[in-house]
Amino acid sequence: MEVLRVKGLSKNFGGLQVLQELSFTVEAGTKLAIIGPNGAGKTTLFNVLSGQLPATAGSVYFSGQEITRLPPHRRLHLGLARSFQINNLFLNLTLIDNMLLALQGAQHPHFQMFRSVNARTDLLAMAQNLLESMDLWEKRFDPVATLSYGDQRLLEIAFALASKPKLLLLDEPTAGLPGAEATAFADTIRNLVEDTTLIFCAHDMDLVFSLADRIMVLYFGQIITEGTCDEIQCDVRVQEIYLGSGRSSENVGSG
Amino acid sequence: MGKANLAGSNRQPWQARLLSLAPYISIGLVLLVLPSFLSTYPLSILTKVLIYAIFAMSLDLIVGYTGLLSLGHAAFFGVAGYAFGILMVRYGIESFWLVVPLGILAAGIVAAIIGYISLRVSGVYFLLVTLAFGQLLSVAAVKWTSVTGGTNGLVGIIKPHLGLPGFTWTNFSFYYLVFLAFVICFFLLHRITNSSFGRALVGIRENEPRMQSLGYNTWAHKYVAFIIGGLFAGVAGVLFASFYGIMVPGHLGITTSSSVMLMVIIGGAGTLFGPAIGAAFILVLERFASDLVPERWPLILGVVFVICVLFLRGGFGSYLSRFWRRVRLSVWKS
Repeated sequence: MEVLRVKGLSKNFGGLQVLQELSFTVEAGTKLAIIGPNGAGKTTLFNVLSGQLPATAGSVYFSGQEITRLPPHRRLHLGLARSFQINNLFLNLTLIDNMLLALQGAQHPHFQMFRSVNARTDLLAMAQNLLESMDLWEKRFDPVATLSYGDQRLLEIAFALASKPKLLLLDEPTAGLPGAEATAFADTIRNLVEDTTLIFCAHDMDLVFSLADRIMVLYFGQIITEGTCDEIQCDVRVQEIYLGSGRSSENVGSG
Repeated sequence: MGKANLAGSNRQPWQARLLSLAPYISIGLVLLVLPSFLSTYPLSILTKVLIYAIFAMSLDLIVGYTGLLSLGHAAFFGVAGYAFGILMVRYGIESFWLVVPLGILAAGIVAAIIGYISLRVSGVYFLLVTLAFGQLLSVAAVKWTSVTGGTNGLVGIIKPHLGLPGFTWTNFSFYYLVFLAFVICFFLLHRITNSSFGRALVGIRENEPRMQSLGYNTWAHKYVAFIIGGLFAGVAGVLFASFYGIMVPGHLGITTSSSVMLMVIIGGAGTLFGPAIGAAFILVLERFASDLVPERWPLILGVVFVICVLFLRGGFGSYLSRFWRRVRLSVWKS
């Protein structure tokens, strides 16, 4: 079953074409990694898919429904959630308050005005589940600003998982984590997203090859190739982009 | 901005709940018995304090919780007071059960219109648009003499009839009406700020784009909060009009908006009781200052404001709530 279909998607910032007519589909259950050098357009693609930025042209279908012009909150309720490359949390609030905001955001309706949050045992139980699965429950009364960077990174993932999405977008989940921590983090993520369709982008190739079953290579706003991990590893053009940046542009057509 | 309270603490035992209610109950009791010891003038100050406390708390929902800097909040206060007064003076409707709801409703409608337009922009532009609407209404009140009484103000507003045989308003009984309104408003606003909706407002204040990607329609949240704030300001406006018997154009504009904003900031935005304390502080200070050094009141207010901003970051409210949390913890441990 097809979860996401992108057709001719473009995004320009003024005269700069950051995404050029991208077309691809994602099947349910796939773990798709998007790789490419800095400036390839990975984060912009995520922002357009999740609705933070409007597309210049083209269309996006989610579970068969067109979502190209839907605002971010509507996309979340359809089942499309994301995390951010740079931690995007509520730093002045406690960890549990953060988690409750993420959990109640996924629920209908939001306009419950007279029931105290502390009486929402359903939300509290879910928050406890998620935070315990990440070993963060003990720190629940700490303001998020005082948590370690790695813990904040985990919370960023927890935010995305809170809505139990059909499609999860993780933008550089291990960004900023030192090597050893990143490896442990990758294991945590793998356990958490086991049953979810996932699109993620990363520079860390260990993470890519351990988590993804398909890889898409983005280069200056264009899809160079897409395939299984083995296919991508053997692809000459990809090797050129990553190894010999100087010659790559003239050889793109020939490989 | 004050921090949100600890959420997610499991249900507390009744002793702890009683302890956390203690300051509210004791202040409530003081306000209940205090009038018996006060002469007419101090009682009128106390009445005014409670009216402005409702007004300041209503602005706090918008400024302190949602993080929207509105400088047009007096528009709702003024419109409610004027609507209430116009119904009474021009149309002779004097029943409490008609004029009070209609006055508050008028404030809600005006908040719905102004909010719909001004929430298209944010930050300093929002501040300017709300300011402009307040000034616009205040100029309208000056020009539309036949209805509003112009610069002379709308005079002859009386205290509305409750429809009880043999009952007439005294300063004493009117104080208890205001007190009752204050308690109800405080209770409702307390419930709202501690609900899922209230927490979402705090989330919007802290990081609005993130709230959108978490599934919140932030525009709708801000709009609803703005209207609720307007309705509560309307309660204050109606009480004010019937207490003083007059509304003037200044009650709609920047003078009133900025003084209630000062009450919120000095009292502590983002804590519900803080702005109520701010209202009491400013009105009592004003009363003494205008006794001792008449005509110098704005100067004193300016100095007090500068001192508060420099040395009392977060207002009285944030200090008091921190102090109270420490007291609770130490009591709880022993």
